[in-house]
Amino acid sequence: MKSLVVFIVVVFLALIGYFLFAFTVDETQKAVVLQFGEIVRIVESPGLHFKTPLLENVVYLEDRLLSYDIRSAPVITVDKQRLTVDSYTLWRIQDPRRFMETMRGLRNNAEQRLDDIIYSLLRDSLAQKSFEDILKREFLTEVKQRAQTQVKDFGIEIIDVRIKRADLPTANEQAVYQRMIKERRQIAQRYRAEGEQQALGIRSEADRQVQITLAEAHKRSEELKGEGDASALQIYAEAYNRDPNFFLFWRTLESYKTSLAQNSTLVLSTESDYLKLLELMNSKGLIEALDNR
Amino acid sequence: MQGPIESGREFEERWQDWSRRVGRLGSGAGWLIVVLIVAIWFLSGIYTVAPSEVALVKRFGKFTQAEGPGFHYRLPWPIESVVVVDSQSVRTEEIGFQSKAGVPSTQFPTKEEEALTLTGDFNIISVETVVQYDVTNSEIFAFQVEDYRRVIREAAQAVIREKVATRGVDEALTDKREEIASEIQRELQGLLNNYGTGMRIINVRLQEVTPPTQEVAAAFDDVNSAVQDKERLIFEAQGYSNEQLPRADGQAQQILNVAEGYKQSRILRSEGDVARFLSILDRYRLGKTVTEARLYIETMEEILPNLNKIILSKESGGVLNLLDLERLLGSSTGGEK
Repeated sequence: MKSLVVFIVVVFLALIGYFLFAFTVDETQKAVVLQFGEIVRIVESPGLHFKTPLLENVVYLEDRLLSYDIRSAPVITVDKQRLTVDSYTLWRIQDPRRFMETMRGLRNNAEQRLDDIIYSLLRDSLAQKSFEDILKREFLTEVKQRAQTQVKDFGIEIIDVRIKRADLPTANEQAVYQRMIKERRQIAQRYRAEGEQQALGIRSEADRQVQITLAEAHKRSEELKGEGDASALQIYAEAYNRDPNFFLFWRTLESYKTSLAQNSTLVLSTESDYLKLLELMNSKGLIEALDNR
Repeated sequence: MQGPIESGREFEERWQDWSRRVGRLGSGAGWLIVVLIVAIWFLSGIYTVAPSEVALVKRFGKFTQAEGPGFHYRLPWPIESVVVVDSQSVRTEEIGFQSKAGVPSTQFPTKEEEALTLTGDFNIISVETVVQYDVTNSEIFAFQVEDYRRVIREAAQAVIREKVATRGVDEALTDKREEIASEIQRELQGLLNNYGTGMRIINVRLQEVTPPTQEVAAAFDDVNSAVQDKERLIFEAQGYSNEQLPRADGQAQQILNVAEGYKQSRILRSEGDVARFLSILDRYRLGKTVTEARLYIETMEEILPNLNKIILSKESGGVLNLLDLERLLGSSTGGEK
C-alpha cells in the first residue's frame, strides 16, 4: 500500500518537475525565454531545454516559411491603365530577438507591418510602370529588396514578393471583351476576304488559261486553214497555168451551171453563135445557109 | 451539541471501516490499475506507416530519425512524437476550376477570379490549370513550410499569369499551350527550390484555355468558320479550274481537228478539181476547136432548159423596147413558157 502511494507521488512529482523546469522546442519553432518581460536567451535548436521555474517563461515563434496574402492594391499605371494588383509574400522570422522586441513576438503585428510596407511599395512602384512592364514582373525583385531593407530591423526575412493577379476593373474587362470580339471579327473578315481573293485568283487564272488555250487553238486552226488554202491555190495555179485560155473558157462554162439559177430570164439574140442557126431557118432556108458556110 | 458529536463518531467509524476494506483490496487492485495505466502508456508508442508514407520521429521536438512503412515503436508522450508524411503519392492542385465527382472534366465549374488571365497583347483568357507535385524531402516539407498548399497555389497562380502574359492570345489559345505549360513547370520548380519546400513539380497541364465569355468565344468560333469558309472558297475555285481547263483543252482540240480537216479537204478537193481539169485539158489538146464547141454546147444544153428564155431575131431587134417585160417576167414565175 505504501509503496503504491510512493510510486504515484513520485510520478506526479516527476511530471510537475518536468513542466516546471523543462520545455521542448519543436523542429518548426524557435523559443524566446523571458524573465519579467526581459529576453533572457533565445533557443534556436529543437529538443529538450531547461528554465528557472516560475521566473522564466517561454514564448514560441514560428520557424517555418510563412505565406501572407497582401491586400489587393488599386493602381493606375503610367499609361493610365487601372489595375487591381493582388500579391503575396513569403517570409520567415530570421532574428527571434529583434522580432520579439519589435513585434512583441506576434505574427499578426508582423503581417500588418508587411502588408503596409509591401502594399505601399507596390503602389509606388507600379504607378511608375507601364502596363507591359507590370506584365513582365521584373520590377518585383526591386520591390522585394526595398521591402527587405525596411523589415530587416524587425527580424523578418522576406523570401519573395509576387503578383498573383493583375486584373482589370470590371468595366474595363467588358471593354476588353468588346475589343477582343471586334478583333476576332476583323480576323474572320480577313480570312473570308483572303478566301475570296484567292478563289478569284484561281478562277481568273483558269479563265485566262482557257482564253489562251482557245486563242492558241484558233491561231493554229487559222494557220492550218491558210496552209490548206495556200496548198489548194498552188495546186490550182500549177494546173491552170498550163493553159490559161482554156481554163478561162472551161471555168466560165462551169460557173454558168451554178450561177444561172432556175427561173432566171435570159434575153437571147439570134445573132449569137449558138442561136444563129435559128435565123437561117427563118429567112433563106437551112440548106442555103449551110452552103454559105 | 450531542448530535454532531454522535454523527462525527459514526462518520469516523464508517470511514475506518471503508478504508480497512479498501486497504485490503488496495495494495492488489491499486497496483493492477497502475500497471495497466503504465502498460497503456507504453503501448501508445506503437504506430503504423502506410506504404506511401514516411514517419518522422521527434524526441522532445527534435527530429531523430525517419521510419519507412510498417509497424514501429516510439517512446510515448511526452518523450517522442511522430509526424507522418505521404511522401510517395502525387498531389494535385486545381487552379481556375473545381473538379467534382461525377462531372466530366470539360464541365467543371470555373473559378473566374483564378482563371481569368491577361495575355501579352492585352486580351483576357480563361486558363484552367492542373499542377501535380510530390514530396522529395519529407523533412523540409514537414518542418520548414507552414502551409504547403497555399505556397504552391499562390506561386502557381503567379507563374501562370506571368507566363501567359508573355504570349499573345492566339498562341495561348492554340499552338503554344504545351510550351507555356512547360515554362510554367520550370519556373514553378525554380521558385519552390528557392523557397526551400521539399516539393517537386511533376507536371503542369493547361487543362482548358478558352475565351472568357460565351460572346467572345462565339467570335473566336467565327474565326474558325472563316478559316473553313476560306478553304471552301479556294476549293470551289479549284473545282471550277479543274472543270474549265480540260474543257478548254477539249475545245481547242476540236478547233484544231476541224481546221486540220478543212486543210486536208481543201487540198484533196483542189487535187480532185485539178485532176478533172487536167484530164479535160488532155482531151482539149487533141482537138481544140471541137472540144471547145462541144463543151460550150453541152453546157448550154444543161443550163438553158431550166431558164426562161426570150429569143429575139435580127429583124425583131427594135421590138425589144415594145415588149411588155413586166408581163413576160411576171408570168415566167409560173414556169417555163
